[in-house]
Amino acid sequence: MLIEARGVTMRFGGFTAVDAVDLDVAEGRITGLIGPNGAGKSTFFNCLAGDYRPSAGSIRFAGREIAGLTPESHARLGMARTYQVPHTFTDMSVGDNVMVGAFLRHRRTADARRAADAVLERTGLAGQARHRASSLGTAGRKRLEIARALATEPKVLLLDEALAGLTATEIQAAITLVRDIHRSGITIVIVEHIMEVILSLADRVTVFHHGRIISQGTPGEVTGDPKVVEAYLGRSLERQRQRAAEASG
Amino acid sequence: MARFVLAVAIAIALVFPLVFSGAFYERVAALTLLYAIAASAWNLIGGYAGQVSVGHVVFFGCGAYGAAVAYSEWGLPPIAGLPLGVGAAVLLAALVGVPTLRLSGHYFTMATVALAELIRILVGNVPVLGAAVGLMGPAVPRSVWDLSFTSSLPYYYLFLAVLAGLLLFTWWMERSRMGFYLRAIKGSERAARSLGIPVGRYKLYALMLSAGFTAVAGALYLVMVGFVDPDSGVGILLSVKMLIMAALGGAGTLFGPLIGALILVPLEEISNSLLGGQGSGVTFVVYGGIILLIAVFQPGGILAMVAGWWRKS
Amino acid sequence: MSPILLQVIVGGLLLGAVYALFSSGLTLIWGMMNVVNFAHGDFVMLAMYVAFWTWAIIGGGPLLFTPLAAFALAVLGVVVYFGVVKPVMGGPMLAQMLGTFGLALFLRYSAFWAFTANFRTLPEDMIPGSFVVGGVRFEAAKVVAGIVALLLTIGLHLLLTKTRLGSRMLAVSEDRQAAMLMGIRPDRMQAIAWALAAGATGVAGALIATFFYVSPTVGETLAVIAFVVVSLGGFGSVPGALVAGLLIGVIESLSAFWIGAVYKDVLVYALFLVVLWVRPQGLFGKL
Repeated sequence: MLIEARGVTMRFGGFTAVDAVDLDVAEGRITGLIGPNGAGKSTFFNCLAGDYRPSAGSIRFAGREIAGLTPESHARLGMARTYQVPHTFTDMSVGDNVMVGAFLRHRRTADARRAADAVLERTGLAGQARHRASSLGTAGRKRLEIARALATEPKVLLLDEALAGLTATEIQAAITLVRDIHRSGITIVIVEHIMEVILSLADRVTVFHHGRIISQGTPGEVTGDPKVVEAYLGRSLERQRQRAAEASG
Repeated sequence: MARFVLAVAIAIALVFPLVFSGAFYERVAALTLLYAIAASAWNLIGGYAGQVSVGHVVFFGCGAYGAAVAYSEWGLPPIAGLPLGVGAAVLLAALVGVPTLRLSGHYFTMATVALAELIRILVGNVPVLGAAVGLMGPAVPRSVWDLSFTSSLPYYYLFLAVLAGLLLFTWWMERSRMGFYLRAIKGSERAARSLGIPVGRYKLYALMLSAGFTAVAGALYLVMVGFVDPDSGVGILLSVKMLIMAALGGAGTLFGPLIGALILVPLEEISNSLLGGQGSGVTFVVYGGIILLIAVFQPGGILAMVAGWWRKS
Repeated sequence: MSPILLQVIVGGLLLGAVYALFSSGLTLIWGMMNVVNFAHGDFVMLAMYVAFWTWAIIGGGPLLFTPLAAFALAVLGVVVYFGVVKPVMGGPMLAQMLGTFGLALFLRYSAFWAFTANFRTLPEDMIPGSFVVGGVRFEAAKVVAGIVALLLTIGLHLLLTKTRLGSRMLAVSEDRQAAMLMGIRPDRMQAIAWALAAGATGVAGALIATFFYVSPTVGETLAVIAFVVVSLGGFGSVPGALVAGLLIGVIESLSAFWIGAVYKDVLVYALFLVVLWVRPQGLFGKL
């Protein structure tokens, strides 16, 4: 296993957001984390990425304990992440944003430039390389964050709601990009609350509810799990029913 | 195009004092360069890394007092105190930087306020540093090493050379990993860390470099003016000047601080010579107003404004 | 304990309560919107001038000029929020810092220009008299200032924690988007926060004016004290500011008593730097 999380717990004051979660991420897979809002998936994700130090539990990455290490150590060890709300460096050009990532493995400017150019090409951003990052829309910024993370040459890419807020065509383009990155041998962990998307993308899905894992398996297994239907789909089905009732009434 | 502009600017800088000779012009020109050095030094931490110091005069004071002490205590040429001043400045920078640069930028700014106040009170009460009276450089030059000239012209070229060196360093840094990292830190510390940047360490490097160069400006100031007291060496006005020159021209750009100095120093010298000493209170009101307006309307300063017009046309 | 030492300590506590009051304004704004108001000390200065000029022009006592200073500063707070803070809040950090720092310079030296550098004082018998308890003599002005400040600081804390307004303000500071969905207007809450913070500062300034000289630069020192109090108390924490304010008041009084008035500020600034090294989150805060 590339990532092994055991008993990961995150408490904020008296509130337990993530409660003793065990999770394995196999190398070369796309693992999806889903769950209703406030289920703890994002908190758990931030523990994986090193943005939060878990209150308890162990996270091993390639056999090495990483719980409590800084975000920058995570990056050096080969974990890269994106943010739900993109944190691009808006005053810098698109190309320079990617350069920042590339400098992690390439000290010299010329080498970093070459590595960054390759990533820009691959992510379809080469045409906008000289534009300011602030000129990009949401989809462009999310793509840029992925490019910047890729430039750090990670073993695993952690995507936080990479598709939220995108239009249907943009989602298709993003999925193509994620698949392409995956094919190049990078393990992917993706948090998403758009269920349909993740089911088509992920090899394995983990469902969070109230800070715990309630179901794990292939997309088919998970959607067939009554607990999931109740916790997640049930709610949206119920909402749909309500909406239908309102519309007809 | 850019190269042409640069070449013309350098040519003008080289011949300017020969064309506009006269004590007043030469003095203002030399002071402009001196402030440009200080503001460019501030720019390393305040502009590139986005960590606003409002106590940079402390580092300037280290340089000025270091040079003054070299003469008053050991009878050395003032410039021999430069390493002492730079060393003290870098040390003080670490003292405020190590604890605060791990935290959000507010802590750093507040710590620089406290440090500046602390040092100002201490300097005003320490006899070795001349207390409230201040210290003098050599009244009559004893050798060429005292760098004591009646004309401002030699200072002009000395400062020009130092400024060129500093800008060259900054230019190189801008293009190196450090420059990219500092700009990333300014953009988003959180994202910078997630890309493997040891944020606190890089901010500290930038601060120590900035403090060191600011101390150089301080030592040069003493060499030229030959006198330092708590007001001129560690008074708050100078911190404000460094900050406002950089912000007005364009914080975080190579030439921004120089442009700010080119506008503000002559303006101030001229208004001082017209108004006599009366102007300094009004100067502050105007400075405060300018800083406020820049912050609200054009955080990128003049260079960003010009770049905006350029793109539009 | 000797009476004189007791007097120094109680004096420090009374002064500390006033520090706590004007520091709560700073900590409230910082905690709520992550903005540090570098003009905070100058707000105190302006409040002191409001008190002084009210007395000088139309007469009256603290009962008149304290509410007036509170009102004037609350208005100023709202103006500053909409005119300076709101435009720079979403922008780069540099702009934020420059905004309130520029404001500080502008206010301070406008006061220089308008009111001259002269030290001005309210008459000493503004709040007349003094009384003796257990062999210790207290000036009424400081006792009144201390007690009013203490009550108002506690009141501010209760307002923030126990009322509907307080919880709405808290909601905005925690999640702007979510607060908007709940029908709260963040702009309005933040403007109210500025009015409250500046108003509290106004009261503190008026109280200080009853026993301390007024000058355009008086805010410089007070601002640093407020920074120290806030960083010691933990940012955003009004109770933290209260405890830290009292502590700083006592430390100042004791050091002025033992090592001399010149160095009392040095000690406070040095303490500030030490706190940043040892416990940057403050005594009660978390990072």
